[in-house]
Parts: sequence; C-alpha cells; structure tokens
Amino acid sequence: MVSVINTVDTSHEDMIHDAQMDYYGTRLATCSSDRTVKIFDVRNGGQILVADLRGHEGPVWQVAWAHPMFGNILASCSYDRKVIIWKEENGTWDKMYEYTGHESSVNSVCWGPYEFGLILACGSSDGAISLLTFTGDQQWDVKKISNAHTIGCNAVSWAPAVVPGSLIDQPSGQKPNYVKRFVSGGCDNLVKLWKEEDGQWKEDQKLEAHSDWVRDVGWAPSIGLPTSTIASCSQDGRVFIWTCDDPAGNTWTVKLLHKFNDVVWHVSWSITGNILAVSGGDNKVTLWKESMDGQWACISDVSKGQGAVSTITDTQQNEQ
Amino acid sequence: MRLKEIQRTAHQAWSPAGHHPIYLALGTSAQQLDASFNTTAAIEIFEMDFADPSLEMQLKGSLPTTNRLHSIVWVNFGTAEDGTGGRLVGGSENGTLTVYNPEAIISSGAEAVVGESDKHTGPVRALDFNPFQNNLLASGANDSEIYIWDLNNFSSPMTPGAKTQPVEDISVVSWNRQVQHILASANPSGKAVVWDLRKNEPIIKISDHSNRMHCSGMLWHPDVATQLVLASEDDRQPVIQMWDLRFATSPLKVLENHKRGILSISWSQADSELLLSSAKDNRILCWNPNTGEVIYELPTTNQWCFDVQWCPRNPALLSAASFDGRITVYSVMGGSLKAQQQSTADMISSSFDTMDPFGTGQVLPPLQVPQPSVQETIIPPLKKPPKWVRRPVGASFGFGGKLITFENSKLPPVQSPQPVPRQVFVSQVTTETEFLQRSRELQATLKSGSFNNYCQAKIQNATSDAEQDIWKFLLVNFEDEARIKFLKLLGFSKDELERKISKCLGKNFQSNGHGVDAKDLAEKMQRLTTERSDEAAADARTSGSISPADFFSHTPKENSTFPIPVSCDTDGLISQALLVGNFEGAVDLCLNDGRYAEAILLSISGGEDLLKKTQQKYLSKQKSSISMLISSVVTQNWRDIVQNCELDNWKEALAALLTYAHPEDFACFCDTLGNRLEHEGTEKRCLQACLCYICSGNIEKLVECWALHRDCSSPLGLEDLVEKVMMLRKSIERLRNSEVAVQSPVLAEKLTCYAGILASEGSLSTAMTYLPDNSDQPGIRMLRDRLYHAQGEAAAQQQPPNSFNRVGVPTANPTPAAQPPAPKAPIMSQFQPSAPPQVPSQQQPPMPSIFTPQVPLPNPGPGLPSSTHAHPPSSTRPVVRPSYPQHPATAPAFSSHQPFQPQPVSSGGPFSPTGPPMPAANLAGPPLPPSSSTAGGLPPTPSPGVPPMGFVLSTSLPSGMTPPSSQPGAPGPVFPGSFHSQGPAPPMASSSFPPIGAGYPQGGPGAPAAKPFPAPVVAPPPTGPHDGWNDPPAVRTGPRKKKLPDNYTPPAPITAPVMGFPVEAPQPHNHTQVPPGAPQEPNVQLLQQLPAERVEQKEIPSEHMVLKTTFDSLVQRCQLAAGDPQTKRKLDDAGKRLGHLYDKLREQSVRIVLCSSRIIQISSQTGAGKVCFGSRCSAADGSWSTCRLRGDQYVLRDVMSTN
Repeated sequence: MVSVINTVDTSHEDMIHDAQMDYYGTRLATCSSDRTVKIFDVRNGGQILVADLRGHEGPVWQVAWAHPMFGNILASCSYDRKVIIWKEENGTWDKMYEYTGHESSVNSVCWGPYEFGLILACGSSDGAISLLTFTGDQQWDVKKISNAHTIGCNAVSWAPAVVPGSLIDQPSGQKPNYVKRFVSGGCDNLVKLWKEEDGQWKEDQKLEAHSDWVRDVGWAPSIGLPTSTIASCSQDGRVFIWTCDDPAGNTWTVKLLHKFNDVVWHVSWSITGNILAVSGGDNKVTLWKESMDGQWACISDVSKGQGAVSTITDTQQNEQ
Repeated sequence: MRLKEIQRTAHQAWSPAGHHPIYLALGTSAQQLDASFNTTAAIEIFEMDFADPSLEMQLKGSLPTTNRLHSIVWVNFGTAEDGTGGRLVGGSENGTLTVYNPEAIISSGAEAVVGESDKHTGPVRALDFNPFQNNLLASGANDSEIYIWDLNNFSSPMTPGAKTQPVEDISVVSWNRQVQHILASANPSGKAVVWDLRKNEPIIKISDHSNRMHCSGMLWHPDVATQLVLASEDDRQPVIQMWDLRFATSPLKVLENHKRGILSISWSQADSELLLSSAKDNRILCWNPNTGEVIYELPTTNQWCFDVQWCPRNPALLSAASFDGRITVYSVMGGSLKAQQQSTADMISSSFDTMDPFGTGQVLPPLQVPQPSVQETIIPPLKKPPKWVRRPVGASFGFGGKLITFENSKLPPVQSPQPVPRQVFVSQVTTETEFLQRSRELQATLKSGSFNNYCQAKIQNATSDAEQDIWKFLLVNFEDEARIKFLKLLGFSKDELERKISKCLGKNFQSNGHGVDAKDLAEKMQRLTTERSDEAAADARTSGSISPADFFSHTPKENSTFPIPVSCDTDGLISQALLVGNFEGAVDLCLNDGRYAEAILLSISGGEDLLKKTQQKYLSKQKSSISMLISSVVTQNWRDIVQNCELDNWKEALAALLTYAHPEDFACFCDTLGNRLEHEGTEKRCLQACLCYICSGNIEKLVECWALHRDCSSPLGLEDLVEKVMMLRKSIERLRNSEVAVQSPVLAEKLTCYAGILASEGSLSTAMTYLPDNSDQPGIRMLRDRLYHAQGEAAAQQQPPNSFNRVGVPTANPTPAAQPPAPKAPIMSQFQPSAPPQVPSQQQPPMPSIFTPQVPLPNPGPGLPSSTHAHPPSSTRPVVRPSYPQHPATAPAFSSHQPFQPQPVSSGGPFSPTGPPMPAANLAGPPLPPSSSTAGGLPPTPSPGVPPMGFVLSTSLPSGMTPPSSQPGAPGPVFPGSFHSQGPAPPMASSSFPPIGAGYPQGGPGAPAAKPFPAPVVAPPPTGPHDGWNDPPAVRTGPRKKKLPDNYTPPAPITAPVMGFPVEAPQPHNHTQVPPGAPQEPNVQLLQQLPAERVEQKEIPSEHMVLKTTFDSLVQRCQLAAGDPQTKRKLDDAGKRLGHLYDKLREQSVRIVLCSSRIIQISSQTGAGKVCFGSRCSAADGSWSTCRLRGDQYVLRDVMSTN
C-alpha cells in the first residue's frame, strides 16, 4: 500500500524536523536543526537541490508552502523566535519577510486557504499565535493572539475555506464571505478553535481531552461533506478525531483514534481528507482511515528503516 | 518564565509523569519558620492549571501533619489506570516515615495515612523511589541509616548492606536510572557509596579527597548507567562533579559557575542535557552536563533556593522552593511576563464590582488599577532547544497520494560515529487496490475499445441480478439489433411468443428458420377461416393475442348464400343503413348493440374519420387491462402507457416502447418511464429506472438516479457508477460517432470526484482523462491545473491548465508583481490550440445542426408540384445525409472534429457499398432494414438512386428511428417517392428529427443501427462544395419527375391468376411497416435474399403482377363508373399512389407485396375480407406501415365506395 518511490538525501547536518511537498507535489522543502531550509526538485523521481536557505539562527521546526497562485513562497519557523517568508524570484530564493514578534520558539507555521489571501498563522512557545496577512507592497499586517496557550502553542492548522457541503457549488461571481477559522494545540493540553470576527480573532472553542501537550493538530480538508474534522495528537500518546456537524461549529464530538505507547508528534491529512498519517516518537508512521461504520482503522504501518512498508506485497510493488 | 507562585515554606514533590492533571504536593519544611512563627505543619496538594494564565495554584487538598518534613516524594505506586493516585512519602525531622494516599488527602483527609514507620532514629533527609519497581523506596537518615522499603509490606525494611563507617548523616540516596538494583548514597562529607542490592554490599566509594565537597545533591545520569553527579554545598567549592564509575579516581567533569554553595540539583528525565542547580548565590542555573556549559539562567528573586525539581510530566516546567517562603513554578521555554502582569491587574479589578463596588446603586467610573509600568520582560528560552521540542519524525501528505516521511535515529549523534544519513522518503500511498485495479481495467477497455468483452465480463462477475441486468443492457448497446435484444432482456422473445401463439391456436409450431412462410400461412389461414373459428377466436381473445386469424374468423363466410335482413330490429336497421351507404349509422347501431367487431369492420369501409371515431368509442368502452394496451397500440399513444401503466408493468411498457415507439419519442418516453420509476423512490425502482435510462441513453439521468440509492462517495461505489457511465457514453459515442460531452453537473461532479480519487491514489494521468474538460467550475479547473503540473514533464503534451489567476506578491518592489502571471500566459496560449476541438461539441452541439437538413425542404424544386408528390409532407421527408467532416465548406470549428457522423451507416450486412453498376439493387432493397439494423420497422428507405460517381455507402437504416433516407444527391431514377403516394404522409416520416440534446444519441441507443462507419468511408459529397454539411440537401426533383412516368405508365395487364383464398398472413406486421424496433427474423431473411433479386428493378416481379393488374382494373372500372369530379380526383389520386406502390414492388418491397397481393386477392373475391385485412395491418403495425397501408386502403376503399 505504501512504497517508497524516491529517497531524497538531504545532506542536512542535523535532525530533520519537517519535510513538505509543494502544492503540485513537485518540490520538497526540508528543514533541520542545522538551521537551514532546503528545497529540492523531486519531479519524476529526481532530487535536485534548488535552494539552501540560510537565515535562521536556531533549529528550523517547520516549513509551509503558500498556494502557488501567490507565487513560489515558503514560510519557515525556528527556535530562534523568527518566522521567515522566502520567495522565489527569477529562480532565486530570497528572504521576503522576517517576523520577529515572538518571544520564544516558533513551533508551527501554516498558510491559510488561498481564498483568504496570503495569510500565515504562527504558533509559538511564548503562548501566542501570530497572524501575518500580506497587504501588498511588502506590507504585512500582524495580529497577535496573546496567551493563546499558556505554556506554548505547538501547532496551528487552518480550516478549509469552503463552507462544508459546498465544495462544488460555490457561488460564482460574488466573493463568498468566508469565515476564517483555524485550530491550535498547545502545552496546556488544549485544542482551541479560533475565529475571526470583525477583524478580531476570538477563541471559538476549547476542546479538552488530551492529558498532555498537544503536539499537533490538523484540520481535515473539506471533502464536500458538511462535517468539520480535526485530528489532534499529544505527548500522551493519544490521537483524537474531533468532528462537528453543525454549521455553527459549536458542537464537537471527540473520538479516540488510538492510544500509542509513545508521544505522537505529527498528524497529516491526505489531500482528499480520507487518510490520516500519524507519526510517533517510536519512529513509526501509521496510516488511518475511517471505515463505513465510523471506526478508524490502521491501514498501514510505515515501518522503521527506509520508510519501507511491511505490508507491501510483491504485486503491489510491481504495480508501481 | 514564572508561571505559578504561592507563599509556602515547604518541600515539594511533583505528581508522577503518568499523573494527570499535574499536581504539586507541598510538605511544610522542618528547620524553617516563616514570619508568623506558625508551627503547624501540613501536606497540601495543588493543581497546576496552565489554562489559567494567573499565578494562582489551585489547592486540591490539605492534611495537617504532626511533623514537619525534611523530604517528600510522590511515588508512582498504586496508581490507577489513568495514572492518578500513587503514594506520598514524607520523611520527618523526628525520623518518622509516613506514607500518604494523595487521593484521600484530596477527597477528605480521612484515612490519608496508609503507613508509618519510625525505624529511623533521626531526621529523614533522603528519599528516592526505584524507577523500575515503584514499590521500592530508599530512605536515608542519621547514623548511616539506609533502609529499603517495600510499599507492599511497609513494616520491615531492608538495608543495602552494612552501615558505612564511620557513621555519618545520609544526605542523599539515589537509585540508578538504568540498573534497578543499584543504589547510591552520599553524605555531607562528600563521599558517595554505590550499593549493589543483589550483593547487599557497597561496590564502590567515590571521593575526591578534597574534603571540600559537602554533598548536597547526588543524581544518576538519566541515560548513562555509570555516571552520576555530586553537588557541593561548600562555598569554597561550589561545583558539580560528574563522575564515571569506570574512572572513579577523579571526577570526569566539574561544572563550575556558581559563586556559592549549591543547595539542590535536578536532572531532567526528558532531556539529559538539562541539569538544574540552585545555589546560595541566589541563582538557578541550567547546565548541559555533557558539555559543562550553562545554557540557561532563571530570572529569580534574591533568595536562596533550597529545592529545585523538574516536573516529570511537563518537561519544560520546574518548581523552586526558596527560603523567603515561596514556591514558584517556572517554564524554561521563555516568554513574556507582560501578559501575566496584566492578568494580575485584571484579577484585582475583577475582585471588585467595578461598576458598583459598594452596592450603592450608583455606577462608578471604571476602577483605575494602577498599572505597574508594564515593562515587557521578555524571557528568552533555553539557549539550546530541549530535546522534547525537537520533532524527530514526521509524515505528511503531498498531492497525488504521496507521503513524505523522515525519521531520526533515537541514538544521540554523539554516540554514532558515522554521520547519520539525513533522508526524506517519498512514498506512494495506495489504499484502494481494488478500485485501482478496476480503474485500470476500465482504462484499458476504453483504450482498446473492446467494450463487448468488458461488458461480458461484468455480466459474468455481477454480484447481483440488478447489476447483471444493467450490464446486459449496457452490452446490448454495443451490439446490433439492440432493440430486439432489449426486448429479449425484458423477457419478450419473438420466437417464444410465436410458439406460444401457435400453441394457443392449437397448431404445431413449425419454424422454417426464417419466420413464417407465406404460403404455409396462407394455407393455414384458409383452413382456419373455413373451419368454424369460434374456438380459435375465443382462444385468441383469452390469450390476449391479436392474431389476425381472430379477425378473420369474424368475417362472414363468403361462399354461402345469405339473406339480407330488412326488419326493424338492429340487424335489419344495420343492413338497411348499409344498403344506403350510411356507414355511420350502421356503425352506431353496431356499437350500440355491442357488436364491436361489425362496427369496426364497417367503419373501415366508412372512412378514416369514422374508423378513428369507432376505435375511440370502442376503446373507451373497453375497460379490460388489455384494452389499454390495444388502445395505445391502435392510437399510437405511447405517452399513455408510460405515464399511466402500473409501475409493476414497467417491463411491458418498456417493451412496448422498444417495439413501437417512434425514434423521436423513444428516448423521451423511456425517460418518462424512468422518471416515474425513479420517483417511486425505492431502490428496486431506481434500478429499473436506470435500465430505462440506459435504453434511452440518458447518461445524466442514469447518474442522478444511480446516485439516489447507491453510495457514490466510496471509491468502489463511484467506480461502479463510472464504469457504467463510461460504457453508456462509449456506446452513444459509437452511435453518434462523436464525443459526448459531459454536461450534467451531477455527472461532472461525480467524474471530478472520481478523478480526485484517482489522483489521490497516484494515477495522475488517468485522473486527467476523466476530468470534465468543459467545465469552468473552480474546483475542476484547479484540479486540472494541479494534475497538469504534478505530472511534471510527463504531462507536457497534455491539456493546458486553466490556472487560477495569480496574485502578485512582490519581493523587492511592487512592480514585479505582475511577473508571475506572465510566464503562465504563454503556456496557456501555447496550449490553446488543443482546446478548440472541444469547443464545438460543448458549445454548439453538432447534433442539432447536423439535423437541420431534415427540416422540411425549402424548395421542392420546380417540377415537383406537378409530380406525383401530391402531399406536401412528402417533401419534408427528412433526408439524412452523411456528414462530411472534412468538407472544406463546413464550419471551421468542425474541421478537426471528425467524430461527428450521425449518419447512420449500414451495418454492413449483406450489402457492400455498392458501386454504380448496381444502384438499383442497392437502393431498391431497403424497404426492409438490413439485418443488422434492428430498426426493422423503418420504412424502407429506398434511396432513390445512385449517382454515377458511385457514392453510396452502403446505406442502411440507421436505426429504427431514422427516417428513410433518400440520398439527397442521388438522382432518383427509380424512386419517385413511391411511398409518398400511399396516403397521408406517415407522421414519422414527415417529422424531422428534433435536435436531441447533445448528450443523447439520436433516439437512444435502443434504436441505433449498428456500427458507425469511419468517416473516410463516406464519399465526398457529390453535390459539390457548396453543399455544406448543414446545407439543406439538394433535392433532385428533375430525375424523379422524369422517371416517374416510366414507372407509372406501364399499365400491366391483369395476368395473375387468382390464388386460392389468400388468407391474411398471420404476420401482418411483417409488412413493410414493421414498427421501429420490432424487427423480425423474417425481415432479416427476406432482406438477405434481396440483393440477388433486386437486379431487375424495372419489372414488377411476376408474383406481384396480380397486384398491379387487380388494382389497375379496379381503378379502371371505378373510373368508368365515376360520375362526379370529386370521385374522379380521388381515383386519380389513387392511381398516383398505386404508382408508388408499383415502385415499391419493383424495389422488392416484398412484404408490402405480400400484404397487398393478399388484399388484392381478397378484394377480388370478397370486398369485406380485404378491407378487414387492410385495417388489421394498419392497426397492428407501426406508424409508417399504417400510413402506407392506409394508402392502399384508400385505393381499396375508394374502389369499394364507388362500386
């Protein structure tokens, strides 16, 4: 079910902390404790180093690609308390903007859906979440939610722009009045939902279930169903799936996906929102899928070692 | 950064790592007093609620104690499943060791003490629990006392070995973090002893012999079993020594930074590179003991801190107890103090009712809280990122089902000499194996075009009957004679039926392999009619059969003499009315008397209107179930059937449509029926509705209906649907020889969804092929763009992306903002050329335009009026022309759009494209549809002639519904519109095809004729360049006019001997006018014989000469008798029509001949019999045949009336 099709040797000199494909799946950005961000062209199975971005003074925790309609833009965040937005211009990557408004490690960056414009959410260990909005002419508007998570914010993830259920039937012509929402997780063990009202960010929901740091949150892409789905994972080894059916977004039900024996570091939804990749401290990546009866089942273990998968069969390999 | 603070002078113990929420237990310190000189003691438990930004700790429980404590630990013993509970163990100043149950302290305080021992003789300063066996606790006190306690059996402690000598206080005990039976103890003199509990003796002693080490703390390395640190309280040597037992002669490392003696140390279990120390220099430092570097200094008060502790659960937290009576919880992750100060202010203000603090009812201005000049104190985090924030592993998805994974070895890099390869893996995730497999099969089929095999396989593997049915129907669409096969699928087999009828009639069924032999039938019929036929008639009635024999049995016997009643009863009145020619009266009398058979017989002679009226009256009186059907058949009213039949009879209704329905209406009726079934709402009905939609070729409705009851959100469910849709679409494309654009939003959505799933499974290029290409839906456009780019170079040839508008985000200056779109534009334009071919099909559906020629011909030509074409409708006969895709004159948009060839082309069959030498054979033949065209009923389309250049493709009847196609360009030497002369233009023939939506095949696949011919087969239009594909076909009236006389003039002598009583053929519908879709084997047979016979076209076949002679003589006689001009005109008209009929005969329209000759023969013997037969035929057959027979009938009726 999972087979390695490309192994990219990043030549990072220290731990890799994040690796993200761009919108088209043609470029790979990686970041590391060696303080660098690297971009590789991985089209057709290749691995050509496109850029080696230096500018951070600490480990770089995350990278995030902006939607290509804004150009080739990458955001990175670091322990050095900075967020750097990089942009490719005429084949050269340069610093486009550097945000230094956090007092502690910036742990997470996430671009909002392109419908919202160019907007970046940043979660920091100082407990605050910053929202950087590009307003043109090199101007970035900064809004900061102080003390969003008391001992630190570990992760942010945007809600899809589409109003659930209207994937196809978006009103054309007039610009829909999107409600901007995102989810965050922090060291206060909380998952929090934030909503912009009248230009101000307000806490919309506080979801309690984890008993330790929330390591990551992921708002599932809309698949046309009128349900919002969020995955959260924690130091406590638990992964929860939060769902909300009501349009107002007030009633969230929680379901335990699994309790792992080790910290769960990361959750990632597939583009179509039906598979959740869970990466744990035991260096194990598992893929989860919701069955018809609403139960989450592990469909594959991406086992240790070369990212190879234990469940792969010969035939499947041949098919690739 | 300070998070929580409380005023206490106490020793502290964090709840264990498994405990949630995080609690901090505080036991009042011995040897210290606060300013109140309060001497009480207690154990208090506080909750750390970090969601609350204030500095408050929440007190959860408190237990007064008799003794003050020197030490306290929270043991992970007896914890509940969720990690709560455990045991608090306190070592008091008087040597008592007490075990508390924290749960009890929190809940009530009752029975909180679960164990107590006073084994120790002095203050218990040292406590530690075993990290592996949490029931084991070590304690140390005065006089070298060390006890190992088992919490399960608290009363009898062990000792690790003999007391060290000289006796000393034990200031610290510590369990090894790797080896569970190793314990270390240290005393203020600076010596440390390592005990092996298995040997029950000290195994090593550590001392630097400096005598300056006053050991205040000792800790084992969290990761390295042989290393430990010792902290010195001595101001002269305020250091932390790091020892390795393998080199126990001197410290491995000495951490020097504190200015005065160290009071407490704590080693983070989450990150062994973090060692805390507090000292009498008022500082709290955090070391990386591996490097000796101070990586953090906490901002603290000006007080000694005598106890620091990392929080086991939250690795960023630590608590510090200071001599000024504060317990403070810090975070090492930095942050700003501003928020906290504000929140303190908020707290103060909120403790007052700011609006009305004194309850006076007067609103006061908002309380002005003095803002302690908020200087934002930014507290930086640890210089070195702690291990727990360094994400070691990750997996994230990319477009196309790619999974990006990386991991980092858990081993510290220090210990792995080789550089660790830092790799990222890109994997393909496929979760829908079956889906992909089926998708591949479908894709292969679509590419190879082996649709039949595909459908066959589907039928074989179908899991349910419904599924199988659907695939069978879909399969039929790819086969010839679709309508017959549809009928068979519905359970109506012609053979079967004939056998049943025969059985019902008491005859042995004799199949001669090609339907019913005419002579044989004639004999049979004769026998039937000469016999007493009541019995047969009764059988026929009960069986619901509409066998002609039935009718004939009612006809009077012509050979016997009979009296003519003239009495005043009904019989008499009828005969009198007949005698004076008052058909209407006679019919009314018959109807009134319930003699329906007579009424109808008479009304046939009484003229068309009367017949219709009579039929209506009859049918309105009949309430039996069969009458509705008969009514519909007679009146051609299929709408009634589809709209009003019982839904349980959907099969029958569909069968009727397949048999009779006009191609123009067929799809519409099928849809109507489908709609009704669909509205019923049940799954069963919906599946039946799907069958209807398959017959009609209505992809959109099929999709909508299918989606009603089948889950299409799951990949396999969607695959189920898409397979069917693609097959149906292919069959329609095959029919129309053109691409079918996706138009319905529902279908577009499903296909998009399908493409999305394919994409997410990595089948990017396949996904691209399913994506509706004519949609402007943003979702579809974006997916296409994404697919396009995602394929990298592989997709270079593919369709252009309709990419979104880019938003300029400048880097250096605003101007380059416009740049991003720029590169895009060329790409788009570069690709544009490939797009246009799609355009016509979606925007101006070719169907309608292609059919424009079928609109009534504007100019019949000069000679026409005078010709035999008396009826305007005849000129409206649609002329179906082949489309000439490559024609230069056609719209440019079409130039590359070859597929459009609605032209029904012959399915081959026995005819090969005929060249000029055999024009007649080719053209005269098709009164009967070619074998492959199921359309049998099609009015034979005699193409009038073949142009010398050899134009004709083997034209056949495209489908049951295609109107007879007379080749436009062909000078029609033979065919002077013979069938126009047969009466009022048949409704079907006179109507041109309405443009059917592009999504529909014409008439639906149920009707279609067979294989499309590739365009090249079509010869260039003979009419020249001006004759564009959408020009009205040129009607060559000249030749026709010229030829007509030839055909018409030769008045054949009456030569034919009258055969024996020509019984009506039992297959009246076998006459040329077979309803569309009701092809019959005999047709086929006959047809196949045709080519050979057709060569001599000028002569009326001898066996049919009887017709001509009979008719001609009849007309002659009538003309002699006719006096008034009106009658003469009628006779002229009849003569003209006969001319057409003769043409038919020449063309070997065998069946009309069969029919007609029988009529003639009948007419020569009994007037009533022939009329009856004629009407029978007209009633039983489809529209065209009806008309034609009516034409014949006119002749006969005219004859009768004049006679």
